[in-house]
Amino acid sequence: MLKALRTFVLAAGAAALLAGPAFAQAPVKIGVLTPLSPPGDATAGQFIVRGAKMAAEEINAAGGVLGGRKIELVIEDDAGTPEKGAAGLRKLVSQDRVVAVVGQFHSSVAEAVQDLAEQLKVPVFMTQASAKKLTEKHLNYTFRTHVIDPDRVTLWNKWIQQQGFKRVAILAENTDYGIGLAEETKKQFASMGVKAELKTIIFDRAVVDLTPQLLEIKNWKPDLFINIGIGTPVYLISKQAYDVGLIPATPMLISYDAPARPEYWKNLGEKGNYATFIIYYHPTMKLTPRGEAFRTRYREQFKEEPVYGALNAYAQVMLLADAINAAKSDKPDDIVKALLSGKFTGWNGTISFPKGEGAYWQQWTPPMLFLQYTKVEQPFPEAKIVFPPDLKTGDLMPAPKR
Amino acid sequence: MDVYLLSQYVLSGLVIGLIYSLMAIGITFIYGIMKMINWSMGEFYMVGSYVQYALLATLLGWQLWWLALPLAMASVFVLGVIVQRFLLRPMYLGGIERRDEYATIITIALMVLFRNLAIVLGGPNQYSPRDYAKPTSILTLPISGNRMVALVSAVVLLLLFYVLTRKTAIGRAFRGAAQNRVGIQTAGVDVLRLDMLAFGVGVSLAAAAGALLAPDFLVYPENGAISTFKGFEIIVIGGLGSLLGSVVGGLLLGVIEALGSVFLSPAYKDLYGFVLLIALLAFRPTGLFGERERTV
Repeated sequence: MLKALRTFVLAAGAAALLAGPAFAQAPVKIGVLTPLSPPGDATAGQFIVRGAKMAAEEINAAGGVLGGRKIELVIEDDAGTPEKGAAGLRKLVSQDRVVAVVGQFHSSVAEAVQDLAEQLKVPVFMTQASAKKLTEKHLNYTFRTHVIDPDRVTLWNKWIQQQGFKRVAILAENTDYGIGLAEETKKQFASMGVKAELKTIIFDRAVVDLTPQLLEIKNWKPDLFINIGIGTPVYLISKQAYDVGLIPATPMLISYDAPARPEYWKNLGEKGNYATFIIYYHPTMKLTPRGEAFRTRYREQFKEEPVYGALNAYAQVMLLADAINAAKSDKPDDIVKALLSGKFTGWNGTISFPKGEGAYWQQWTPPMLFLQYTKVEQPFPEAKIVFPPDLKTGDLMPAPKR
Repeated sequence: MDVYLLSQYVLSGLVIGLIYSLMAIGITFIYGIMKMINWSMGEFYMVGSYVQYALLATLLGWQLWWLALPLAMASVFVLGVIVQRFLLRPMYLGGIERRDEYATIITIALMVLFRNLAIVLGGPNQYSPRDYAKPTSILTLPISGNRMVALVSAVVLLLLFYVLTRKTAIGRAFRGAAQNRVGIQTAGVDVLRLDMLAFGVGVSLAAAAGALLAPDFLVYPENGAISTFKGFEIIVIGGLGSLLGSVVGGLLLGVIEALGSVFLSPAYKDLYGFVLLIALLAFRPTGLFGERERTV
């Protein structure tokens, strides 16, 4: 009797496992590996997580992928350091069994992560890491839907030519991002024939007092100052540049979209006024229906304008779901094949990943705009677009003498 | 290189060096009395900056930074006393014998704990109080009002500290304990209770630095790390246990870093102090003003 019962239980258990609607319904896991604590730009990471979560909710509400399986996000902090990034990826792949990873923000981290992703054979998405070498290496598992540094530099060089700046000073952090941008600017000054003098200073990201460097720059008398710090350094530079009297008398260009975030004015107050900065999204932009729907939901949920990082992470998770459906499989290699052969709806255009020349390998580039604040506490949607000329809504405003 | 610019670099180095020496004095004071290194010094700096920010942002309003400063110092003093009483005191057996590795483990654990608490409580973002004062200048150097305030406050705090240790009864007890922990007990001083005060005073100096530098160097979970490094460099340069050494070491480090980063390369700014430190250790292992420890 006992033996019969045991056989029955075992058989029932095996049947449940094999027949398994439960097995078929196991979620498809996508990793979000992004900076969520210092020294990484943790604010950026939070926005990325926000966007990715909204995408997963949307996909799951619409019935999931592969005929009813849910998308499950596994969020992992890379703290902006390569070693934590690599450890995080290892955990995501070997322990959580994710099928793809989005959220890479810091270029130095992304480089460590992409090399490991190539070994572990899992697709990894650059959400906001822009060093050109990341796609220049022509790795099979690296995808990017973010601007690359040479394009960023080309655009500011055009701006320098248009504005007629004669002396350009760069203060850049000693990371792949900072050094890459500084060197690219030097290179393109020559290739584009920019008639301006260039002074570049690289500083250690861990240093908090940049007064001597800013004094040196101020005494060099530049007519444009480019602030290439990410996270805490972007604020340290802005504050101290104001304190030594370099800005706002000399116009400052911030190399990325930190000023579009709500904390910018809280941290800088009047010292943040008259800064020009690069963004990839503006509230007046026309978006795809998918992007438009996201924007509306984001505004409802958070009572503020979506930030680019959130938009981009959202679009990446959405297009991953599309690729998983197209591949009819959750195997990383099948997903990669689908990514390479398909066209996907992004937040402001159609995304595809051709194997192009140089850094344009599995790379899709969003638009770039230069914005300038002209009032303290000015809301980001009200900042004027000062470049490029075909999109501009205002001219670069000089700061009044103080 | 013109003299004007050079004078600016030297002045900016002197200013930041003097502010850093607050950290150094805290470390060296705690070492002098308790004969232990407090590795979590930077986290007390961090807590000081958070308390200052929280007080200004919620209770006091941005204008009352001068009131928030002593409050931030006092709260970190209390925190330090609690830490000493419950976490560090058990390392002493009968007030004399001590287990050094215990202090190292505890203070490093505290470092990790405080940083993560800051992330949990305040999030990983940066905060900044409003400016304490309008931008001004010292001789040729344009300087933020905050740094001017920090400089003046640092001088005042250093003087107060000098008076405390040189002119008061408790100061005599502190100096006695620094010279000989056994001797001071034969004179009837409860050396463990003295430790509690010393630890509190030491960490409140770090908190002062954190609160003073908050508007310039921001408030975030890891903002203490760099000042801890500076603090340790300064005491090794100036001599462990020497208060004068802390001040001179601070000024020297500030100037060397400022000049090195301009004349050599700013990418290695943190390196110059260490080169000075290594050179000094080779020729004067006790630091500029350090004395060989007296042993019983």
